[in-house]
Amino acid sequence: MYHRMIFRILVSFALVASSAVAQEEFSFDLEEFEKKSLEWGGYTEIKLEHARVNQNSAFALLDSYGDSRSSLDRFTATLQLDGNYKKEIVSFNWLVQAYGRLDQVQWVDEASIFEAYASIKPTPLASIDLGKKAFKWGKGYAWNPVGFINRTKDPNNPEESLEGYIVAELDLIKSFSGPLQTMALTTVLLPVGDNINEDFGKSDNLNLAAKLYLLYQNVDIDFLLYTGNSRTTRYGFDFSTNLATNFEIHGEIAHVPKQSQKILNSDGSVETREIADTSYLLGLRYLTENDITTIIEYYHNDDGYTNQELNQFFELVDDADDLFTQTGDDSLYDKAASISQGSYGGTQVGRNYLYAKITQKEPFDLLYFIPGVTTIINLDDESFSLTPEAVYTGFTNWELRLRYSLLVGSSFTDFGEKQNKNKLELRVRYFF
Amino acid sequence: MMKKTLVLLIVFLVSGLFGLYSALADELSGSAILSQVDKNLQPQSYEMYRKLINVEPDGSKKEFVLYSVKKGQDKMVALFLSPASEKGRSTLRLGDNMWLYIPNVGKPIRITSLQSVVGGVFNNSDILRLDYSTEYDAKSITQEGDTYLLELKAKTNAIAYDSLKMWVDVKSVLPTTIECYAASGMLIKTLYYKNTKDFGDGLVRPSVLETDSPLYKGYKSVMIYAKVQKKDLADEVFSLNYLARVDELR
Repeated sequence: MYHRMIFRILVSFALVASSAVAQEEFSFDLEEFEKKSLEWGGYTEIKLEHARVNQNSAFALLDSYGDSRSSLDRFTATLQLDGNYKKEIVSFNWLVQAYGRLDQVQWVDEASIFEAYASIKPTPLASIDLGKKAFKWGKGYAWNPVGFINRTKDPNNPEESLEGYIVAELDLIKSFSGPLQTMALTTVLLPVGDNINEDFGKSDNLNLAAKLYLLYQNVDIDFLLYTGNSRTTRYGFDFSTNLATNFEIHGEIAHVPKQSQKILNSDGSVETREIADTSYLLGLRYLTENDITTIIEYYHNDDGYTNQELNQFFELVDDADDLFTQTGDDSLYDKAASISQGSYGGTQVGRNYLYAKITQKEPFDLLYFIPGVTTIINLDDESFSLTPEAVYTGFTNWELRLRYSLLVGSSFTDFGEKQNKNKLELRVRYFF
Repeated sequence: MMKKTLVLLIVFLVSGLFGLYSALADELSGSAILSQVDKNLQPQSYEMYRKLINVEPDGSKKEFVLYSVKKGQDKMVALFLSPASEKGRSTLRLGDNMWLYIPNVGKPIRITSLQSVVGGVFNNSDILRLDYSTEYDAKSITQEGDTYLLELKAKTNAIAYDSLKMWVDVKSVLPTTIECYAASGMLIKTLYYKNTKDFGDGLVRPSVLETDSPLYKGYKSVMIYAKVQKKDLADEVFSLNYLARVDELR
């Protein structure tokens, strides 16, 4: 009798305890998620990099005027803050970033306002934004030929925040029933003047960019236009659709009827030539049954340089190094540095590229672990970069990324003349 | 002889007609029950908050909180409120189309229904689930005591799961267990609806959805529902241009 009583008490206790565990497991306190007028967040990050420098490459020589290091260790700390304050139909939004970077050569620090704009949203059908705002037009993952008012992104880090331009934007949306499901028109006024968007193009101009979006029969379609005197007029079209639940295709085409380009002639003279170019991109995203995602993009950069044109630039740097070594005269180095800026020194300056990124989500039942590999190939000279990486997000609000980049190419090729041979990078990011 | 043949023919025709009638009746009642399940689970146009908990074999958990709105049979959008690493991400579904918006990326990208933006056993189509009757046809219905067993087949091959087995409580007409199968017949996951709760305004439905999968042995994911309530929404809310503004609906 006594034992039975103890047994009952124990069973009751166990039931209460298990019920408490169940309650705890299924608890959901909504209060902490109540809407607030002021919301903010961001991340802090540290990045450690060890790069082996390709000392004889054109860009290593140009960077140090022939006195390049064999390796570079770099430490970067970054803080990014975003937020918004809302009052009825008006909100103020911001995104700021500051970083400090230390390596064996120098300490660099910078704070930037990436975005700071006011939004007025009288109805779900319309909104007006005024201030500094970033645009990321186009469907391409690595490149966006139709991104007429985008900042150029780094194909190795296409998901990073970028600085915006000061604009006035009107966005109108209309939904329909039928094959045309949505239509949206985005119109952007972008002024360029003293201290306003100076790096966009020619000063003292008011430019117009517009994007008409249609969701027609399950296909995303954009018609894009830029006109103004800061840059030449340009027209664009992009699309994206799913051919199957696991198979998406996208594309972009941009036509610029008139564009000027800096070119180095075989006699060493530099001229600005007028060209008409049509650049395009075709891409796909495919997911296999075992969660391997593949993104492949082909990019034709019509205003890029041919192999021969790139060779002439690399030869100039070679000659500059010879002249400097033999006589101490750095005039050719100065000339090469000046041509490099805004033209030959860009991230991808060739004409035809292939991008491929393959990632596997949570292999071997390892939750929140995503290994992957990315390659960017210059199809004309067959040089390439190869970047295996592993990302882990298993600790709440932490993201750990380990990445190794290898650049492969012979002399006078796109990737063979980049500054680094390879780079090992560890990035730890904490979100708050 | 002639008479015997005639009798046999009549018997054959009658039983054929009866079989046809009973198959039609099954189909009708199956689809009627499926529609009722949808009606009982959510209003036509509504908002809700959900907490997703991924539980690993060692008991460690990762939690996500989402705010969602849905309108009609094929429009839904979900916004991540927590954790900070996911905050501001939103996913939109319009019929078979799905997009993901990440604030840093700054533009929506098309995603597929079988992917998961949160990791764990729930995938995108579970998080942005449309009405069952929008995606599936009832192929058969059988009653086992106080439970109906519905065999459902995807209407198109764009649906995440090729077929479902759905156990429905006869009295409340609410689902209790759903097995999700691939076209190959492989069991992808099992969903368990639990803890029926009164959300107000006549909505009484399960407040917890649990899932496990033979593909993720030892892992479990739980979805807890809160503040499921009717809300009038403009169609334009369900568009790519609105994705960055979903938080304004709260």
